[in-house]
Amino acid sequence: MKKILENASKKLPSTIILSVTAFFIFLPLIGATEFSLRDGGPDKHSFQSYKWIFEQSGFKENLGITFQVTSLAVILNLLIMVPTVTWLHISGLKYRRLVEVVTILPLIIPVVALATGAQTALPSFLHNTVLELSFMYVVIAMPYSYRALDIGLSGKPLNTYVAAARNLGASWYKVLVSVIAPSIWPSVLAALFLTVALSLGEFTLAQLLHWTTFPTWVANVSQENILGATALSVGSLFFAWLLLFSFTFFGTNKIDRSKDEE
Amino acid sequence: MSNTAESTVVVKGASSSRGALRRLIKLIPLPLIPLFIFLTVFFFLPIGKVALNAFEDNDGAYTLANIRLLFQDPYRLAFRNSISLGLISALVGSVFGLVIAIAIEKRGGVKLKKFIASISGVLANTGGVPLAFMFLAAFGPEGLMITFLKSFGIDLYEWGFTLFSFSGLVIVYSYFQIPIMIIVFSPAVSSLRREWQESAENLGASRFAYWQRVGVPILLPSFLASFLLLFASAFSAYATARAMTVGNITLVPLVIGSLLDGNVTINQANLGYALALGMIVISILAMVPYLFIQAKTSKWQQ
Repeated sequence: MKKILENASKKLPSTIILSVTAFFIFLPLIGATEFSLRDGGPDKHSFQSYKWIFEQSGFKENLGITFQVTSLAVILNLLIMVPTVTWLHISGLKYRRLVEVVTILPLIIPVVALATGAQTALPSFLHNTVLELSFMYVVIAMPYSYRALDIGLSGKPLNTYVAAARNLGASWYKVLVSVIAPSIWPSVLAALFLTVALSLGEFTLAQLLHWTTFPTWVANVSQENILGATALSVGSLFFAWLLLFSFTFFGTNKIDRSKDEE
Repeated sequence: MSNTAESTVVVKGASSSRGALRRLIKLIPLPLIPLFIFLTVFFFLPIGKVALNAFEDNDGAYTLANIRLLFQDPYRLAFRNSISLGLISALVGSVFGLVIAIAIEKRGGVKLKKFIASISGVLANTGGVPLAFMFLAAFGPEGLMITFLKSFGIDLYEWGFTLFSFSGLVIVYSYFQIPIMIIVFSPAVSSLRREWQESAENLGASRFAYWQRVGVPILLPSFLASFLLLFASAFSAYATARAMTVGNITLVPLVIGSLLDGNVTINQANLGYALALGMIVISILAMVPYLFIQAKTSKWQQ
């Protein structure tokens, strides 16, 4: 009994710190949600601002643009990163250092600076299409997607699997479908989630390269209807959190499993 | 195998520098070519463009005039503001993050740690316009928190508080800075084994001596690295700052933004490139030591 009490009193300061932290995490969220539900004044509440969102023609239109940009970014990202990282692991990680260094570079350079250069340096076939953003999003997602794939594959002796399958007479096609694909699938999913979350909320490049996407539209809306903009912000924060939380959930499960296998 | 390795070293040493580029291309194996082409077109070329144009005048001739402008107001002020914002935000984020990371470790529990890791991962990625509007709604003059405090006779805005300010930005940035700190710094805190403290005590060390000789030296490199990362993230943040300030604070990203929007008042079309180059240089100064320390410490933290 004494020991339990002693233990509890030892943990008390940390419990207080963590509770205060949780309180401050939720404070702005509660305030913003209340604000977005206001109807006319601070005393009357309704879903008026949320209804207003769906009456805006810009809502569907810009959400559509953002989904297009995101889809292309995800496809490009997977097309480039999945074969590259898979090959890296099959070929015995000889070039891992090089790829590691190269893919971390976009994290070092501020996005604003990248946008300044991209304004004039992008290839001409992308000049008049919003899809140029997809190509840039692949670049800024690369530090994360590379790491997601690399961590996922690090727990697995992929080249041993491939050699075993080949020795047992499997064709390369068979190896790809029944050996490589199932092994890399969780990490592919992780890379996909990260790219989606990043592309859906990206504001800097979209705004600086003068495109209207969902996030830049939300910023513009605030000038005519601040309640509506708040409702949009609360909505997109909840959506992004749901997406990211499900990803981290996936991510930790996956890493744990790969540790068990070792 | 070792034979070929030796001979390549000999060839490398003997060949002239003119073949350097060709050797570099040959060094990249075929399956890595798509990645390198993609990065060249969409990353290295834009960055190269920034570095080149920063040293060109309107006619494309070499000049240092753009760079010189960076050291004159209002651009010098913009850099000074951005650097102070980065430093103060990093200080606030790293100190609070440090306390919370230690509290998490003391409180223990694998499940709690996992849960907090997930939440931190989510919050660290929260930024941009929605974050700014969330704070403006909650802590703006009409916000719930402000009116709530007002009902107790505490009028923060009367006391000079405003979100549209330097300190307002620091507060809002904390919402993603502290979680970043928790993510980056927690492995270092976990690597402090309880056994070390016990053995230090058994050997007669005081608590202070333990922290002085063991705790702080182990945590310091990771703390500095995290600080640098937080600095870089606040220094280069654009979306939140743009949504929150009303042209009252001069920050480098915002100045670049207004230049790209076409608000060029002087005949210096390449000034934007020079500002961007300045940002790149400062970010490299913060991020390269960060990555270096991270790579070194993560080896023994596992």
